[in-house]
Amino acid sequence: MRLDPALLARLGSLAIKARLIVDSALSGQHRARLHGSSVEFAEHKEYSPGDELRHIDWKALGKLDRYYVKQYEQESQLTAYLVLDGSGSMRFAGAGLAKVEYGGLALAALAYLISKQQDQVGLVAFGGADGLRHVPPRAKGSHLGDVLAVLEAVMTAPQGTTAGPAAALERVGELARRRRALVVLASDLFDPDDQTVGALKRLRAQRHDVVVLHVLAPEERTLPYEGLTLFEALEGDHKLLANPSAIRADYVARMDGFLAHTKDALAQAGVDYHLTPTDRPLDETLLAVVANRRGQRERR
Amino acid sequence: MSFLAPLMLVGLVGLAIPVVIHLIGRRRATVVKFAALQFLFGSRRRTARRLQLRERALLVVRVLACVALAVAIAKPFTSCAARGPTVTRGPQAVVFVIDDSFTSGYRLGGQTLLARELDAATRILNQLGPEAEVAVVRASEGAANPTELSREQLRTRDALLDLTPTMRPADLRRALTRAAQLLAGSNHQRRTAYLLAPITATSLASGEAPWTSDGPALELIDVRAGASLPNLAVTELAVTPDGASGTRGLAVVAEIANFSTVAAGGVTLSVAIGDTVVARGQLDLAPGERKRKRFLITLPPEVRAAPITVSLPADALPVDDRRVAIARLGTELRVLVVDGDARTDRHDDEVFYLEAALRPGDRGEAGTTVTKVVPEDLDGVDLDAFDVVILANVAALPGPRVDPLAAWVRAGGGLLVAPGDRVDPAAYEATMLPLLPQSLRDPIDTAWGAAPDERAARALHLTKWEADHPIFAPFGKDDPGLADAAFTKVMLLGPTTATADRTVLARFTNGAAALVAATVGDGQVLLYTSTLDRDWNDLPMLPGYLPLVQESVRFLARRRAAVATASVLVGQGQSLATLELKKLEVRDPGGAVAVFEGARLDGRSTVRYPTTARPGVYRVVGTDRAGDTRERTELTFVANLDPRGSDLTPAPPALLPQAGTPGNGTGKVPRRRVELWHAVAAVLLGLLLVESILIQARR
Repeated sequence: MRLDPALLARLGSLAIKARLIVDSALSGQHRARLHGSSVEFAEHKEYSPGDELRHIDWKALGKLDRYYVKQYEQESQLTAYLVLDGSGSMRFAGAGLAKVEYGGLALAALAYLISKQQDQVGLVAFGGADGLRHVPPRAKGSHLGDVLAVLEAVMTAPQGTTAGPAAALERVGELARRRRALVVLASDLFDPDDQTVGALKRLRAQRHDVVVLHVLAPEERTLPYEGLTLFEALEGDHKLLANPSAIRADYVARMDGFLAHTKDALAQAGVDYHLTPTDRPLDETLLAVVANRRGQRERR
Repeated sequence: MSFLAPLMLVGLVGLAIPVVIHLIGRRRATVVKFAALQFLFGSRRRTARRLQLRERALLVVRVLACVALAVAIAKPFTSCAARGPTVTRGPQAVVFVIDDSFTSGYRLGGQTLLARELDAATRILNQLGPEAEVAVVRASEGAANPTELSREQLRTRDALLDLTPTMRPADLRRALTRAAQLLAGSNHQRRTAYLLAPITATSLASGEAPWTSDGPALELIDVRAGASLPNLAVTELAVTPDGASGTRGLAVVAEIANFSTVAAGGVTLSVAIGDTVVARGQLDLAPGERKRKRFLITLPPEVRAAPITVSLPADALPVDDRRVAIARLGTELRVLVVDGDARTDRHDDEVFYLEAALRPGDRGEAGTTVTKVVPEDLDGVDLDAFDVVILANVAALPGPRVDPLAAWVRAGGGLLVAPGDRVDPAAYEATMLPLLPQSLRDPIDTAWGAAPDERAARALHLTKWEADHPIFAPFGKDDPGLADAAFTKVMLLGPTTATADRTVLARFTNGAAALVAATVGDGQVLLYTSTLDRDWNDLPMLPGYLPLVQESVRFLARRRAAVATASVLVGQGQSLATLELKKLEVRDPGGAVAVFEGARLDGRSTVRYPTTARPGVYRVVGTDRAGDTRERTELTFVANLDPRGSDLTPAPPALLPQAGTPGNGTGKVPRRRVELWHAVAAVLLGLLLVESILIQARR
C-alpha cells in the first residue's frame, strides 16, 4: 500500500500520520533500523564459511591459533537531529501538499521510527511565529510528543520567514558538539547565497551523518501554468506578470541546473541526498532514507 | 489650436475606459504564489520586463486613442499665414488663368512649371465644391479661351490635365482681361481669378491693366515659389553672305542672352548646317547680359539653301536654346559691265581685272554672271535682267540712254560708275548727273611732271574708309590690301548734287573722295574716282581689289535682291509665292501638312500659311502643272520662338494687377484655417493599429 500524501494530510494528528507512514513503510520488512555510522565491537564468533574475511580477528588468531570473526553492533543510542525548513518558500503547495507539510510529515515519521528504536531524536525547526525552535534530543517515549508538537506548529504556521536553513544547521552543529549525530534536513534549498550547502558541508566536516530531503513541488519542476500569470513571491514582495509558455523552457533548464549543481555539491561532501517531490508517497521516501542508511552501514 | 465642436471634448472622460480595461486585465491574470521566483526572474527577467512595458504601452496607446477620438470629433483647427491661395467652398465664380506659354515648360525641381500650375489648380478646384462655376483661361498668346463659366468641373479638370506648353509667349494681361470678362458675366457675389504662372515682367509688360481695384479678387500663385529661374537663350540669329569667306561663305551672327542673376561662363555655342555641326564657340555672359557671336561658315558644294541652327547646351528651358535660320545663296548676281575702253588685247581691256574679280577663276559657282557690252550696245539691253550695272570708263552717255538707266536705278538697280581717260567731266555734267551722287571735276595727276623715281612717293593712297560699311567689312583698319594701293590719278568731285542720301565711304590721303555711295530712289549708286584697271592705280594688283569689287557689287545688288524674310516668330503666318504651281504642301517641324491646291491656289500670286505652331523649319513641296513634285527650297521658311518668353525675370510689384497685390493693400498678412482632424484621425488609426500589434504580441 502506498500512502498518498494528500490523503494522508487529511488524517488525524501528526503522531498518527507518522505511525501510519512508518507502519506502511516497515510492513513486510524483516528488520528496519535506522543506523548511524558510529558502530562498536560486540563479540567474537568462530569463523564459518561465508563470513567476511575482513572481519577475521588476526590478533586472536595469533594468540589462540583459531579463527574468530569480530562482530560489531550499532552504538547503543543514535542521536538524530531533524531540521525542518519552514521558510516562506516551503509554504508553496502546488496541487498537492505544501512543501513544509510534506517535509514535516517525513520528519515526523523519522522521529517516530527513531523514537521507536529507543534512540534520541531532537528537532530544530524555523519558520513559525516563534522563529528558530529547538527540541533537544531525548530517547524517552513522551519526548516524541514534544517533537511532533513543534513540527506541527511549524507546519501549520500561517507564514514563513525569509531566512534559510543555514542558521538552523549551524545551531545543530553547536548542539551536537563533538558527538556524532544523524542530521536530517527537509528543505527546498532555495537559498540564493548557497549558505545551506555550506552549512551541510561543515556538518559533514564535523563527521556528522547528514541526510537531505530536497522537497520540491512538481509544479516547481515543470512550471505547468498557462495564460497570463501573476507570480507572487512567497518570500518578499516580488511580483512577476508573465506568460509561462514563453519562459518555461528557460525556467526548467535553470531549475534542472540548480538540482544538478546541488546534488553534485552534496554528493561530493558525502551528504545523503534525496530529491523528494511532494507527490511522492511518504512511505517511499521513508524507505528510501532507511535503505540508504542501511546500505551505507553495510558498505562500511 | 481651436475646436469647431468643443462640446465633443466631453468625450475625454472616455480616458477612464482604457485605465479600467488595464486594471481589469491585470486582475484577470492568474495569481500564483510561487516559491522559485528567482528562477523566473533569472530566466526571463528581460521577457518579464518587456511584458510589463508592453502592458504599460498598451495602456498609454489606449489612453491616447481615446484622447485622439475625442479631439477628432471636436474638429480641431489652427490658423497660419496664408502663403497659398485662399480658397472658400461654396457658390462662387472662379477663373483659373494658367500660363501655358513655352516658358511654363521650364523644369524646376524635376517638374515643369506648368505641372506645378496644374497641381495647384487641381487642388483649388477640389476645394471649391460643386456649386462653383469655373473656367480655365490659357495665357499663351493666341490661345482660344472659353466664353462662359461652367459648372461641369469634371470637364474643367480634364481641360486642365490636357494642357501642355504651347510655343508662344505669355500675355498675362490679355488673359486676365479675359478672366475679368468671364467673371463680370457671373451672378455670383464671390468672384475670384486665380493666376497660376511664373509671373514674369515680360508677360505683364504690354497692354493696359486688366481691371482696377474694384475688379474681382485675384489670387496670385507664382509657381516659381521664390526660386530664381536662370535661363540662357538664343534670342536672335542672322545669316548673311560673307564675301571674304568666298562665294559660298556665310556670316552667322547669333545673339545669346543670359536671363539670370548669375554669370554664365564658358557657354558653348554650336552652329550646324542641317544636322552637321560645323562650328563651335564659347562666350562668357555677365548677369543679364546679351552678347553677339559671329561665325563664318561655308555652305557645302551644290547646296544653295540649308537650315542653319545655332544651339546652346540644353538648360532648364531647352526649347529656347536653339534658333534656326535659312541660309540661301542668292540667285546669281547678274552684272552688266559697260566697257568704255574695250580692247582686242584682253589684258589691255578696261574691264579685264574687273571681270576677273567678279568671276574669280571663271568658275560657275562664283555666283555672278557678267555680261559685257560697249556703250553703243546699251540701247538693246533689257536692264531688268540685271542686278548691277557698271560703267567702266564710259564716255558720257546721251540723254536718251541715261533716262532708262536712271529709271532702272530708281526702281532698285545698283550702279557703279568708275572714271577713266574717256570720261569728260563736262560731258558728264551735261547728261549723267541723274546717275551721279556728285558732279565730276577734272582729275588730278600726281605723276604729272614728276621724275619716274618720284612718282611712287607722290601717289595717293586710300585712307579713312568706313570700316562699318558692308563694303569694307572684310578689311581691317589700315589693311595693306587697300592701304598699299598707289593712286597716281583720281577724279575730283564737284559740289553735291540733289542726291540727298550721299556718303563718302573712303578718301585719299589728300582728302579727295575715293568712293561715294548714294541712294537714288530704291536704287544704289557708287561713284569710284579712279579706274577699275591699272591705268590710274595699282589696286587691281593688290589682294584688296577682289573683295572690294565683290562687296561693292553685292552691296549694290542687295536692295534689289531683298525678298520677304524667310523667318517668322511662332504664331505668325507666312506668305508663300505660288510660283504658278498646281499644289503646295507645307510641312511643319512636327510633320503636320497643310495643303494648298485648287481654289486656294489658282489665280493667286501668293498664299498665306496661317499660323506657325512649332519652332523649326517649314518645308514646302510643290507640284507644277507638268506634275513634277519636289521640294521648293526657295519657299522654305523657319519659325523661331518669341525671345520675350525666355526672360523669366519676376514682374516687379508695380506691374502686378492692382487687386492682386499681397493683402489687397491692407498690409495685413491674410490667415487661413488649417483643419487638423484629418491628422488626428490618422493618428487614431495608427494608435489602433499599434494596439492590435501589442495585443497580438501579448498572446
